[in-house]
Amino acid sequence: MASPSSALARPPVFRSIGRSILLTLPIALWSLLMFTPSFRSGGRDLAIGAVLVVVFMTSLFFLMMRTGETYRWRRIFFVALGFLFPVGFIASLIAERGTMSIPISRMVSGDTPFCFMVTPALILPAAFARTIVFPGSILPTASNPHSIAVMIGLWFAFTLVLGKAWCSYACFFGGMDEGFAAFGKRRRLHRFVTKYGSILRLIPWAILLCVVLLSAALFEPFYCIWLCPFKTVTEFPAVRDLETALQFGVFVTLFAGLVVVLPYLTKKRTQCGFFCPFGAFQSLFNKINLFDIRFDREKCFDCGLCQTSCPTVALSKESVREGKTLLNCMKCGACVDACKKDAAVWHLKGTPVGVKPERARLLFLYGAWALATMFGGSILANSIATMVHWLPLK
Amino acid sequence: MRRRILSILAYTGAALTLVVAASVPFVLMGVFSKAIAHAGLHIDAAYSGGTVARTIDRGGYKIVVYQPVKPRLLEPIEPFVQIVFEPADALPARMNEEIDLDGDGQPDVRVSFSLPSDPNAPLRGDVAALNGKYISLTDMGGESFSRMVVRAGKQIVVRIPLNRDSARR
Repeated sequence: MASPSSALARPPVFRSIGRSILLTLPIALWSLLMFTPSFRSGGRDLAIGAVLVVVFMTSLFFLMMRTGETYRWRRIFFVALGFLFPVGFIASLIAERGTMSIPISRMVSGDTPFCFMVTPALILPAAFARTIVFPGSILPTASNPHSIAVMIGLWFAFTLVLGKAWCSYACFFGGMDEGFAAFGKRRRLHRFVTKYGSILRLIPWAILLCVVLLSAALFEPFYCIWLCPFKTVTEFPAVRDLETALQFGVFVTLFAGLVVVLPYLTKKRTQCGFFCPFGAFQSLFNKINLFDIRFDREKCFDCGLCQTSCPTVALSKESVREGKTLLNCMKCGACVDACKKDAAVWHLKGTPVGVKPERARLLFLYGAWALATMFGGSILANSIATMVHWLPLK
Repeated sequence: MRRRILSILAYTGAALTLVVAASVPFVLMGVFSKAIAHAGLHIDAAYSGGTVARTIDRGGYKIVVYQPVKPRLLEPIEPFVQIVFEPADALPARMNEEIDLDGDGQPDVRVSFSLPSDPNAPLRGDVAALNGKYISLTDMGGESFSRMVVRAGKQIVVRIPLNRDSARR
């Protein structure tokens, strides 16, 4: 797998092993704290998953500290999350109901697990009619622990800490297109993406507007019903007529195009950057988040490496000249790692640009990695437990 | 001076963000979840079936009759009324019930279905409308949100479409 920025990246500046271990210690302790219940009462399979996740997350954080690079190590976690999440999810569906399709009986009994992607579509019906247009349950039940209140509570708490960085550290779908973008080296369609980047990055906003308005008008989660590419690898309404067959066809087409083919060709996260309405919605929370990426204009010589490396076209020539990223920056760190002159830096709003950027990076990463370990880590542990359960180890 | 104050505020904010991150699994997630749970929101009636109108006790089991659900302006569902038979375990193997849906003392529909011994087996049933307010259903399963005879956990959920003219009244 090749990074979009691997050919361009500056050589890493190594911290000493002792100092890296010291900086990693809080995350190691946090990981142990998060997964202690899994060791104690989760059974053998989950304990194996938890041990592997603690080692995995702690090792990656250690490597971030040791090398000073963020993107490449975060991506390993994120791609693992993206590819393992469906494994655990589909396995649980098959074990429970024998199929990935969700029958109408499960919807009317409120057993559909809530997915955060539908959140923007809920706002208008909830505000004006106090109605949630999703076939789940508000409070957790024995058959549906992933209730609406739990998942929205989790998402909101994460968003306060991460802002749009949710899309790089917490989203269990984004790792899929990031993974396919990492295959191969040749960057096709580069000129197209560069030329039309300013239009492409507006598409998620247009889709967000349509989804919000249509969901409010039709009183249904329009994105889930018609547009979600990830229904292909999670669950989808059972095909029972032409309409549901058409919906399934749209899901598969969008998944193949936006999550597999286009990321492979462009080396960009095309579903996240050019389609996802939830990602656009999440961009708004970058305004209230304290961390961002900035460009030290005294060091920058407009080589464009940062724009080439950005997986979601969150940089334009103009924004770099202004020393900023665009609103849709998901703080993955690709541009910072790619910059040969250390002009792209992590930044804490309110502090001068380029002064102690590593401190800003550490402050951001501790929060982001702690939540990634808690949320993504538990998904990974469950998926690993599922795979261990399948393997003939007993 | 201003720069210094801003920096102090920024680092204080960053430290608070870390405190918030550490409190997510222990406090914050629960606080936000409870706030949403107590916000007075409800699931759309197309999914939940709406509000309960009355319950008919048949001794071993109950029949719960819901208020008719009328779609909003552009909502792509037919108007319907939901009936729930519960618990499914206590129902006779063959159900054939005349039910008064609007509470006027006269039966409105006759619902009939056979319960398969396997709870995972698909359920199908018939609804015969006894007046013009409702639409009859034949050999019905889980076809749409307005027309269904399905097992949902420990309940049998039946949704009967309303004649659009009577639904408007």
